[in-house]
Amino acid sequence: MATLSKQKIGSVLAKQGILIAFAVFIVAFTLANNKFLTVDNVFSVVRSSAILGVMALGVTFVVISGNLDLSVGSMMSFSTIVVLDLHDKIGPFLAIPAMFAMTLCLGAFIGILVGYLRLNSLIVTLGMLSAIHGLTLTYSGGQNMDIADKEGTWFSVFGQGTALGIPVPILIFALLAAVLGLMLSRTPFGRKVYAVGGNGTAATFSGIRRARTVFMCYILSAFCVATAGLIQASRSLGSQNTVGQGLELEVLAAVILGGASLMGGSGTIFKTVIGVLILGFIQNGLLLLGLQFYVQYVVTWVIIILAVWLDIAAKRGRLWSPIA
Amino acid sequence: MNLRSTFAATTAATAMLAGAAFAGEHGGTMRIGITQNNVGVDSYQTTYEQAFIAAAEENENVETVVLDAGGDVARQIAQMEDLIQQDVDAIIIWPTNGEAVIPAVRKAAQADIPVIVTNSNIAEQGFDFVASFSGPDNITQGARSAEIMCDKFKEEGIEGEARVVQISGQPGYTTAIERAKGFEDRLPEVCPDVTLVETQPGDWNREKSQQVMEAFLVKYDDIDGVYAGDDNMGVGALNAAKAAGRDGIIFVGATNFAVGYEAMAAGDYWGSIYQSPVDDAEAALQTAIDILNGEEVPFLNYFDTPKITQDNMDEFSKPVF
Repeated sequence: MATLSKQKIGSVLAKQGILIAFAVFIVAFTLANNKFLTVDNVFSVVRSSAILGVMALGVTFVVISGNLDLSVGSMMSFSTIVVLDLHDKIGPFLAIPAMFAMTLCLGAFIGILVGYLRLNSLIVTLGMLSAIHGLTLTYSGGQNMDIADKEGTWFSVFGQGTALGIPVPILIFALLAAVLGLMLSRTPFGRKVYAVGGNGTAATFSGIRRARTVFMCYILSAFCVATAGLIQASRSLGSQNTVGQGLELEVLAAVILGGASLMGGSGTIFKTVIGVLILGFIQNGLLLLGLQFYVQYVVTWVIIILAVWLDIAAKRGRLWSPIA
Repeated sequence: MNLRSTFAATTAATAMLAGAAFAGEHGGTMRIGITQNNVGVDSYQTTYEQAFIAAAEENENVETVVLDAGGDVARQIAQMEDLIQQDVDAIIIWPTNGEAVIPAVRKAAQADIPVIVTNSNIAEQGFDFVASFSGPDNITQGARSAEIMCDKFKEEGIEGEARVVQISGQPGYTTAIERAKGFEDRLPEVCPDVTLVETQPGDWNREKSQQVMEAFLVKYDDIDGVYAGDDNMGVGALNAAKAAGRDGIIFVGATNFAVGYEAMAAGDYWGSIYQSPVDDAEAALQTAIDILNGEEVPFLNYFDTPKITQDNMDEFSKPVF
């Protein structure tokens, strides 16, 4: 009996290693600073994590399909700059769909290169990271983009509004996480994504259109990036060209932290959300502790690596690798 | 006179001689090359380039070779070598990195081409190879921001108890370090009873600054003033305070941006330092011309960056960036 329940606990732990890590951090930070677990602070962390989080949702699909997307940071800058520029030129009603269309075109382009031409996604999206940055700069002429009438536009609702007492960015993040989570776990498309990432050749032989599946993952990723750009633009109603610079690595860190495999074939939306929240709470927690910021860079990554270790240790049931 | 200053003097003298000799030979047309840091990455640098080209075109004695390193150190070093090969009369460099460009600057100095550093200085060990630095005095800027804030506290009568947070620029950047130092040194001199409770970096990024300010607002119930290393970050912090419904905080920045100017006009943002990329570009070009004409130029050739607040903002035009 004792062994059985131990095994049971073991298998439960194995699945939830990252949740345990999350709980440990929350408790530790709460003990260290009594303002950490207040409603205001939690809302503020989740709200500012929402931009990163929305992007991570799309990248989860790409990573599960066995590919990478390093272009999301500069693509988000692009969306933000475009929607801010068009806001004053053609009004928010048209600017938002126009920006989504343009961002989806970028996603489609990457999808064709990686999906249909079968080019290495690391190279393609690394190239696009720089190409899209150049595109953004060309579009804006290097100027910061600002909405002229900041008080009088309803456009601010996506980043600054609240509904039912909850900040709108959090609602968008939650809604998108729910929809994409169901799509990944409950639809044929979702299963195809896992199949393609797990074993592409086998997937092809079982009749899955691999290229189309990968293509759709990049479209989804671009859609998420456009949504993130919308929140970002609406939150500050103005932006630099470099607003999303470097976010691609944080997004990837959140997705991997959530347990998605870089080799493809595994990962869930729920755990990506946990990964995003861990990153957000670490950054906020260290700020509240008032650690000197040079130290913060180090501590952030120590905590991330600890979390990944806890996750893996839980999965294999011991701290050290059995074959080290 | 120590070895370093002797060497610097020699370099400067050689440069002057070269310049004087040159002016004689070619009837006054000077070829000046510039390698910029990263045009297009922000509006300041974009405006700088436009102003530089415009100023050079106005002066018929000046011919320019305008290059941009795109933020890439290796490319900037290659551009320095190109300019040396082209045998321009003077090189203006906006360093992508204060340390890494020193060998290239030395190479130019050894080829008897005077080098003018613009906007942000290179590291001190490279000073011997530099004819002059033309740019803003960031320590003074930080000090002036402290004075603006202190004056406002006195006006409101809270100079005995006010609490200030600072959002600094990217860690490791000379501009960020100098502005923070200027502010931190000057504030206790003018307002000894004001406390600087915490400093965190906003990385010159409005969104990052907004996040930092959100955490500050949770952490401290009482914040009277925010000093940001530039207006972009200042406005990010202002957005956070507005969203949290915290009124009455005095925001002071530096490098007055259009958004900062607008927020001042709206009465939300108190003051900043007016630093014009046009002045910056024109000062760099003028410094190069003066050196080529053999005139005496101070090693640190600062252009003035005045205080701007809600009270005197009418005297300044809205920044274009």
